Amino acid sequence: MEKYLLPDIRDLHRIDVYEAHGGYKAFRKALQMKTEDVTEEVKKSGLKGRGGACFPTGLKWTFMPKQSDKPKYLCVNGDESEPGTFKDRQIFEFNPHLMIEGTLIAAYAMGGSISYIYVRGEYGKWIKMIEKALHDAYAKGYIGQNILGSGFSTEIIVHRGAGAYICGEESALMNSIEGDRGYPRVKPPFPAQNGLWGRATTINNVETISNVPLIIDRGWEWYSKIGAPKYPGPILVGVSGHVNKPGVYELPTGVPLLEIIHKYAGGVPGNKAIKAVFPGGSSTMVLRGDQLEGVCMDAESLKAAGSSVGTAGLIVMDEDTDLIKVIARIAKFYYHESCGQCTPCREGTGWLWKILNRFENGEGRWEDIDLLLDVANNVEGNTICALGDAAAWPVQSMVRRFRDEFERRAKIPRPKVLEAVAV
Amino acid sequence: MNPTSVLPIVEKYNNRRGSLISILEEIQSQYGYLPSEALQVVADRTGRSLVDIYGVATFYKAFRLKPRGKHLICTCLGTACHVRGGPSIAQEFEGQLGIKRTGETTPDKEFTLETVMCLGACALGPIVVADGHYFPNVTTSQVKTIIGRTREGLDKIEVQKDKRIFPVEVACPRCNHTLMDPDHLVDGHPSIRVTVSFGEEHGWLRLSSLYGSYTIETGSEIPMGTIAHFFCPHCHAELIGASNCMACEAPMVPMIVQGGAIVQICSRRGCRSHMLDLDATAVT
Ligand SMILES: Cc1cc2nc3c(=O)[nH]c(=O)nc-3n(C[C@H](O)[C@H](O)[C@H](O)COP(=O)(O)O)c2cc1C
Ligand code: FES
Repeated sequence: MEKYLLPDIRDLHRIDVYEAHGGYKAFRKALQMKTEDVTEEVKKSGLKGRGGACFPTGLKWTFMPKQSDKPKYLCVNGDESEPGTFKDRQIFEFNPHLMIEGTLIAAYAMGGSISYIYVRGEYGKWIKMIEKALHDAYAKGYIGQNILGSGFSTEIIVHRGAGAYICGEESALMNSIEGDRGYPRVKPPFPAQNGLWGRATTINNVETISNVPLIIDRGWEWYSKIGAPKYPGPILVGVSGHVNKPGVYELPTGVPLLEIIHKYAGGVPGNKAIKAVFPGGSSTMVLRGDQLEGVCMDAESLKAAGSSVGTAGLIVMDEDTDLIKVIARIAKFYYHESCGQCTPCREGTGWLWKILNRFENGEGRWEDIDLLLDVANNVEGNTICALGDAAAWPVQSMVRRFRDEFERRAKIPRPKVLEAVAV
Repeated sequence: MNPTSVLPIVEKYNNRRGSLISILEEIQSQYGYLPSEALQVVADRTGRSLVDIYGVATFYKAFRLKPRGKHLICTCLGTACHVRGGPSIAQEFEGQLGIKRTGETTPDKEFTLETVMCLGACALGPIVVADGHYFPNVTTSQVKTIIGRTREGLDKIEVQKDKRIFPVEVACPRCNHTLMDPDHLVDGHPSIRVTVSFGEEHGWLRLSSLYGSYTIETGSEIPMGTIAHFFCPHCHAELIGASNCMACEAPMVPMIVQGGAIVQICSRRGCRSHMLDLDATAVT
């Protein structure tokens, strides 16, 4: 299959090479179009956000005010801190100009005056590469004042994060750019009404933005025919955990998970059976290995299977994996990363970790299994941002789908009375 | 520490909104951590409450309120690295370094051990980062070597083995006289000899002619961070070009490479920017 986001072209990160392969052509084309036609094109293409929430991108753009004399902002979200996710980094390294071109087209469509590319702080090396790419794009006149004589002006700034998972959440990201603690904001007002510095703002993931030049260049009809009909386009799938060839693979959406694991990622070492997978990063619902037949890397298919695409970071765990340890670790992560604003999340994530820790140490009790679900259910949906959900989902799904593991590990087993009643 | 030394950093940002994180970053890069006296100065000068400043400083993982060891070793315990054995790697480091809990520093202040939840390099897990260098697919048996190499300094390049390094022969862009000194070897190759001046001092400097190596020898020690002026020892013209360093803004020093290219190195001591420009024609 042809690759569009990460094609096999040497030195594509260089602006001259990028241009030689048709780079910035889509941006030139967009500059000739009416801004609302650009948005319409993206809307019709069916592109959905690759940052985790799967929101239709074109629709999001239409929320921005059309007429406004105030500055408008675009944030390109490259915080990429979800465990199991390492795809945006590939774009930074191998195709930064695609992201820059997409950012420019988006800024043009929405009338954005400044775009911030928010990159996680640990990506020091890649920040330098992005800065170099921006420098070259400025020098060629693609960014700045009166771009290519079109009358359109816009700026792009790289913002380096300082190490906090929560800053990937869009409103926390804006607070972080403003120089404050990355606390998520209560919505409404939504960013499109009141975002960065109190102005209209749109936040898109790096990979999402990098799809935009393809749509403008080749048209929405072409794009919408790639992959799964309701979740079209090329997608960067990161495969990690127990596989022979972990890595990022560009595929059309809709490829079966088992095909990704066996054909692309080289199968499981020692041909062991798959016990479980997280299909889209550690905050998506876990799936049982024996449940995977027919499930595809597609929003609809994964939803039907009881999970979600998230960030398409597929984490594979073989039959020897201690899932209790895995889920305890994940719970600790969310406990650590909870910003602490909302009581259900701050307290709930801590309790989830404590209880799972009991199981890890062989101290779990029978009633703890339902307690886990109870706590998780009370976190889910009761918080300002989706970190609460992200913490609850893996625990809920782990308990529901691998209840036998928890039962086996419980120190205080099933109460006898219940069995008597059953008889 | 002397609290007044952070004043220039705070004042540089002129109380621009959104600048607090940048101020803290600069203070930390100067001291290696955020001293409480410094935070007090930031609070006084920006007019924000100390609570606010601490709030931001403790929120982000990048900031530290305690000094750190000379070397930082960080083991990833994110989900993907965890299932591939991250915890046993972390334990091995704790054992070898005699550190009881991650986050602590060895008594000799050499090593600080930390863990991280995911570095976005899951395909290479388990990952260990030592002083900014990534070690992929780490096994417990490699831990000792990693500690050893980190102690020695990971930035030291193994000149003989590293394929990215090759020798260049350079000449003065003004008089075209060679700058090579075949009688004095650095890194086992003829060195590049220039004269330098900084502040009141004036002296000689020899650079390794291996492109990619940072080995230098000097008559008088140039303090880190100082910008030096470079001169040709033959025509005494200053080696100065039109461009500034992309990393630190100091002027770049051009030299002609045999065959027509230009190599430029940053004039700031300690900055490792350099580039080989193959299209450029000599500037006189
Ligand atoms: C706790 C949390 C962390 C998030 N981290 C990221 C992230 O690292 N990168 C990202 O693109 N989106 C992240 N998101 C999703 C963003 O809030 C937002 O939905 C996304 O950037 C929108 O872009 P898209 O529409 O292109 O997907 C996170 C959300 C939450 C709740
Ligand atoms: S889990 Fe270690 S790099 Fe992602």
